[in-house]
Amino acid sequence: MKHINIVIAGAAGQGVQSAGEILGKTLLRLGYHVFIAHDYQSRVRGGHNFMSVRFAGEPLSASVRQADYLLALNEESIGLRLGGLKAEGLAFCLEEDKGAQTDPRLRALPGPVGPAAAKGDKFAAVKLVSMLFAVLGFPPEVLAASVNKIFEGRLKPEVLQANLDVVAAVSGFIGARDVRWPDFTPAPSAGRMLVSGNDAVALGMVAAGVGVYSGYPITPSTSILDVLGTAGPGLGIAVEQAEDEIAALNLAIGASYAGARAACGSSGPGLSLMAEAIGLAGITETPVVIYDGQRAGPAIGMATRTEQGDLLSLVHSSHGEFPRAVISPATHEDSFYLAAEAFNVADAWQVPVFLVNDLGQAGCERTLEEFDVSRVRIDRGLIAPEPPAPDMFARYAVTGSGVSPRAVPGLSRWLVSCDSHEHDEYGHLTDNAANRVRQHSKRMRKLDGMAAAFPGPEIINPCHKVCVIAWGSTVGPLLEAAPLLKEKGIDFSVAVFRYLYPLDPAKVVPALKGFPRLVTLEQNYSGQLGKLLRMECGVETQGHISKYDGRILTVDDVVELLGAGLGGKL
Amino acid sequence: MTCPENFGYHEPQWCPGCGNFDILPCVKEALCGLGMNAQDFIMVTGIGQASKLGFSVKCNLFNGLHGRALPAATGMNMANHKVKLISVSGDGDYYGEGGNHFIHAARRNLNVAVFAGDNRVYGLTKGQASPTSSPEFVTPIHPEGVGAKPVNPVLLALASGATFVARAFSGDKPELTGLMRQAIEHKGFALVDIMSPCITFNKINTFGWFKARARPVGPEHDPASFDAAIKLASGGSETIPTGLIYKADRPPFDARFSALKGEPIARRSAGYAPERARPLFEKYK
Repeated sequence: MKHINIVIAGAAGQGVQSAGEILGKTLLRLGYHVFIAHDYQSRVRGGHNFMSVRFAGEPLSASVRQADYLLALNEESIGLRLGGLKAEGLAFCLEEDKGAQTDPRLRALPGPVGPAAAKGDKFAAVKLVSMLFAVLGFPPEVLAASVNKIFEGRLKPEVLQANLDVVAAVSGFIGARDVRWPDFTPAPSAGRMLVSGNDAVALGMVAAGVGVYSGYPITPSTSILDVLGTAGPGLGIAVEQAEDEIAALNLAIGASYAGARAACGSSGPGLSLMAEAIGLAGITETPVVIYDGQRAGPAIGMATRTEQGDLLSLVHSSHGEFPRAVISPATHEDSFYLAAEAFNVADAWQVPVFLVNDLGQAGCERTLEEFDVSRVRIDRGLIAPEPPAPDMFARYAVTGSGVSPRAVPGLSRWLVSCDSHEHDEYGHLTDNAANRVRQHSKRMRKLDGMAAAFPGPEIINPCHKVCVIAWGSTVGPLLEAAPLLKEKGIDFSVAVFRYLYPLDPAKVVPALKGFPRLVTLEQNYSGQLGKLLRMECGVETQGHISKYDGRILTVDDVVELLGAGLGGKL
Repeated sequence: MTCPENFGYHEPQWCPGCGNFDILPCVKEALCGLGMNAQDFIMVTGIGQASKLGFSVKCNLFNGLHGRALPAATGMNMANHKVKLISVSGDGDYYGEGGNHFIHAARRNLNVAVFAGDNRVYGLTKGQASPTSSPEFVTPIHPEGVGAKPVNPVLLALASGATFVARAFSGDKPELTGLMRQAIEHKGFALVDIMSPCITFNKINTFGWFKARARPVGPEHDPASFDAAIKLASGGSETIPTGLIYKADRPPFDARFSALKGEPIARRSAGYAPERARPLFEKYK
């Protein structure tokens, strides 16, 4: 696919994010498709961070390794990143950062270019973006309008003006003979948006009618708190930063019991703390959506790095047995629609529902067409009719499906008792053996109903000898790598799993049985989806191709991994 | 049927002589005194013998996890800021397992009446030290005494920002019932720490021990004075002041949210349609 890949590199706090934001938004407004991947360290200042901004005339769902352009915000970044620049690529830096570098691809902006007010680090990002834009032949007015829109209100008026003056001055500095037009054309669309996976999840939650959201700050899930918190006052959503993740989930469960659509979000460390409350949602049959933006490793691991290492822990999290669902968006688009649908699953089956992303999707931004809210439905599940007078409610009435009608305490005349102990139909604690069997089997029956209701895997490019099984952020780069691998004679089918638990063998086995060879591609060591398929469906996979270095999976990674892992031509 | 009998539900299963038997009728009397109906409030309990009180009151009940009653109550307040929340549990639950939540619910000034049955021992697990046990308290785990300084619930609540702090003795039912009424009426975090004997596992802090020390605060105490409250709560253990120790006006947690004005979210959100997400899309274009 024809595309241009720009790498912006510098220390934390130097403006990598600002440069990326300006570039991304401006390319979006020029009508291009954009994919932005962030590679950053867990620090506020210093170190080495970079971001790749890739754009094309058609939709992009992954990042690539090689850069066409490098914007180096400090001297160190030139040394670290020039190696990833194509031979015909160009690198931009400020004269003062050039040091002893003599690489012919390097273009340094002389200090005197630009207004006197625009000196120092704070203007480096806009200067280098202006150089790039001029080289790409984009009109400076478009960049100036974008800078104005992004920074109006965020910067003091005189600082904003200095930034705008930089755009004009630097554009003039790049001569017409240096211009390299992109060899593809934009495909403008009025509704197109640039969103991260987390943005899409937060917007999906809003569409679903979320009323209460809670969380404790953690990479990579904090931005959902930000989006919902900021939107909350206008939209009637109450958002709280809880004192810890234990409180966050207990809070969401309390809110759901009292009648709101409720969710909380975290990453692996927080999910571990939530474990007991996950079981509380299970035994009290309280609908709740729990977002897990996975990151690398146990304990603190690598806080700003990605992994798909939580799947089996979510399937088993908390003691005892109870039904739960695990749903994983395979794309940014999915992140919106499945976030909304997760609430319907929670309400329909009165279970905790895990919505699982990973940092590679949660934090990466891409363009997509405006979400179609008419595709979102809101179904609150079974609600009991009102009694003529207040009375105790049989909240846990035994039913064939295992789902009992709900009533909302405080709004209903029903008196609703919800209990963390094993309980009778009225929510009163008891350890009676016959009751235990009745209530436990009632709850566990919901697993069969959910499995039957959930869709099986999506099979893409069917009828090949090898099927590569993937989920989450692995899917985007895998699908983009497929035509490149086909050129090398490696052609395969892909099975995308979105509803990961409970699995229905009646759907999964037929979908996969035609393939002589099943291989999982996952960003974890042990092939967790492969293990789950064997455990739940008796499906044997013939290999696991893994990546667990914490870095976001690129198209190039997939080409290399599958090229080696599948053993050459197929 | 009398009003308290209307709240009658399951028979409690405490040891004969347990202080909880005195606390339970006070809860019902307080509700009746305020003219409350069962559907007007939610009782939010934790785990422990004190928490089991919830099963003996006919009402909305959320019996959650050990130590986590207050986070669950916080969520209930966010979903429905109009429904009154009454939380009942014990010293181990509020000041031990849930200590962090107690601090933060108090500083938020969550609109909840907290009735802490404080018997200074773990009853349900059969006699271990609690956060309020005295340093000399001996258990099989602590044969040489607990050693640690006990949590002072009143000081903890004051330092954490509670706006209604009271202490009571389960043996003085009129005082306890009155404090419970005031706590339920209070708009904000209201703690009633209830000294209560565990006749089976705490042979030190017995009914007589509490009775000999409980001293209702006199009219000379000004509950509006934070300094006076701190001073009163900091006294030695020879006498323990009971009654209203501190009361202040501070906006409750839910007042912070413009989303929590008017009808509760739980009711309003029935009208939330997917279209409400659409205005947010502009920011991403």
